[in-house]
Amino acid sequence: MLKTEELQINIGPQHPSTHGVFRMLVTVDGETVTDLKPVFGYLHRNHEQIAEVNTYLQNMPYTDRLDYFNAMANNHAYAMAVEKLVGIEVPERAEYIRVLMVELTRILNHAGALGFLINDMGAWQTQLAFGMREREKILDLFESVSGARLMCNYFRFGGVARDLTADFMPRLKDLLVAMPAFIDEMERLLRENEILLQRSEGIGILPKDLALAYSVTGPVLRGSGVAYDIRRAEPYSIYDRLDFDVPVGSVGDVYDRILVRIEEMRQSKRIIEQVIAQLPDAQGGHINPKARQNVRPPVGDVYARVETPKGELGFYLVSDGSSRPYRYKVRAPSFINLTPLGDMCRGYKVADMVVILGSIDIVMGEVDR
Amino acid sequence: MTTETQHGSVIVMDRRRGKLRAGQGLLQGLRVVWDHWAGSFRKNDNFSKIHGTFTVEYPEERLPMPQAYRNMPVLLFDDESGHELCTGCYQCQRICPPQVIHITQAKDPVTGKMVPAATEFIIEYDACMSCGFCAEVCPFDSIKMDHVYELSTANRAALTMRKAQLNRSISYYTGIAPGLWAEVQAGAMKKLQGSIKRRPDVIGLAASLTEKIKARRLELAAAAAAAPAAAAVSAPAAPAAPAAKLTPEEKAAKLAAMKAANANKGAAPAPAEAPVALSPADAKAAKLAAIKAANANKGAAPAPAEAPVALSPADAKAAKLAAIKAANAAKQAEAAPVSVETAVATAPLDAKAARLAAIKAANAAKLAAEQGNNE
Repeated sequence: MLKTEELQINIGPQHPSTHGVFRMLVTVDGETVTDLKPVFGYLHRNHEQIAEVNTYLQNMPYTDRLDYFNAMANNHAYAMAVEKLVGIEVPERAEYIRVLMVELTRILNHAGALGFLINDMGAWQTQLAFGMREREKILDLFESVSGARLMCNYFRFGGVARDLTADFMPRLKDLLVAMPAFIDEMERLLRENEILLQRSEGIGILPKDLALAYSVTGPVLRGSGVAYDIRRAEPYSIYDRLDFDVPVGSVGDVYDRILVRIEEMRQSKRIIEQVIAQLPDAQGGHINPKARQNVRPPVGDVYARVETPKGELGFYLVSDGSSRPYRYKVRAPSFINLTPLGDMCRGYKVADMVVILGSIDIVMGEVDR
Repeated sequence: MTTETQHGSVIVMDRRRGKLRAGQGLLQGLRVVWDHWAGSFRKNDNFSKIHGTFTVEYPEERLPMPQAYRNMPVLLFDDESGHELCTGCYQCQRICPPQVIHITQAKDPVTGKMVPAATEFIIEYDACMSCGFCAEVCPFDSIKMDHVYELSTANRAALTMRKAQLNRSISYYTGIAPGLWAEVQAGAMKKLQGSIKRRPDVIGLAASLTEKIKARRLELAAAAAAAPAAAAVSAPAAPAAPAAKLTPEEKAAKLAAMKAANANKGAAPAPAEAPVALSPADAKAAKLAAIKAANANKGAAPAPAEAPVALSPADAKAAKLAAIKAANAAKQAEAAPVSVETAVATAPLDAKAARLAAIKAANAAKLAAEQGNNE
């Protein structure tokens, strides 16, 4: 065997394949990655410290900016944390609207994430464009109800900011008509494609025990074969009333993560259909009229978590009895999911490394905070 | 393999390939791309289809914005009266997460008390995060989110918006969000009428309209001052007329007329032309004001003595003027009881005018006194 010299190179922080400002310190032996060290912190915005000088409500728009793909899901986790801390009840209708928004978020996130993953593989923009088109339709709905496409700032303590508009439901139903065709088409494009199979099958394997040891969550964990979904493991909101399946992979490679995401979109559509059917019977308005937004929680701490499209998003809040949180900590799924990157990439080629990073589906706004 | 649970199951994804032979998967993918390409010549006007374009040629065409759309906050004013809805209550300034709203509340120039209006209202658009909390929290429905999104500029300072730039009429807002305005209209207009009552002079008017309204008021005042005698003579004859509800415009005009009449009186101390009719209570108030003014004058007087440095002529003049005014006011007040007998039915206009004059005199005297102390 020929003795070759190892070389250390930096990929990023300014690199199109790193999904933001993220640096990978890669040790390569020829084309093969022998070691990889992820380096974060280039997008640090002092989010948690800012949150400690803001009032509880003022933090709501800041949570939009964590994972800017899934503002609704971030809002949900934060609203749940404060509601738990103060003891605010949420009307049934508000819960249904919340779940509706969060599941729409899941569809748009996976449509975008798969697009970016295929982008990283070299199918420049094709799948991304199709995914983004569906995402646009959902963002239109978000805009009509919350006022903004990405930075929705829609949730309030005890409900949501505004009730659904009159034209929301017809448009949503139209969208759901198109959804199966879109998902099937995406599967047809990806599943049997020989190039994609070569780039994803057996690449970036994350074994079950390692995934658990790294406390990875979301589609990455389920891709590794662990059927762990917080909506099922610890049902919050109204998820205990809804039927949905939890897709899991068997190998834990990039391909499994793709399949899990495609199936999750189908399940989200299923949940939305149930929500549409049950929403008219739901009690109460879109917000609890007794809920004060200017909260002053009692002394104590709380941890609330939800299953965002990327995994477990948790907010840990400590209250000292004042109107501002004493401590505000975010358990960001992208950040935790990124930590096993070195183990996932070891032994694969440099080109695979980009695909593996894409399959984790990170948003740097959430990683660095 | 699936595992059943109470609400659904755990599905293990099937990784097996279909029956396609080598290369057919690629062709199938190409077919998907082809379908989209072929569809791109048709227009997709419906969410239920996945093919076809729904491109909007942006600078030429624009999508209508949903009513709830929020971009940057603006301040509303009433089209009819020109009054702003904002009362300067600081609610938005307090809730603003990036702290970009800065309000200066208006003060009455005469009494120095707070007035429900904002003299300055600054929003730093460059740091605004468009969260919409200010619009949500505003109890007077004065601050609303605009739909204009083309704000880019090379000049950052231009994005610090002052009140004049933030003003939008209610009719503009009903144009962009009719449904949202209809929800709050009744309450907002009622609150606005309440604040207009407590706003003297031109405070609280939209900046773009202030000059216009001022000019119109002066015009009306001039017209009224042209025949002060006639007005005064006819006043006791028609006492019921002013009791009717006045629009802000008429009120302002009358006030200006009174002021003009008063100024006339001050210039030529010959009130013989029209007997000033005062109710006893008003006469008392005027007298009290006059006494106060005189007192303030007295306080001012020793000041120059202590400080041998000669007062600047302007200050001395102001003090003298104030004294004259106060004396005038007192004279008027003394004259009052006499005229009470002659005209029992009093015109509230004149009483008000007299009181106003007295307050002004007192204020002027106070000012003079302060200036004297400063010397």
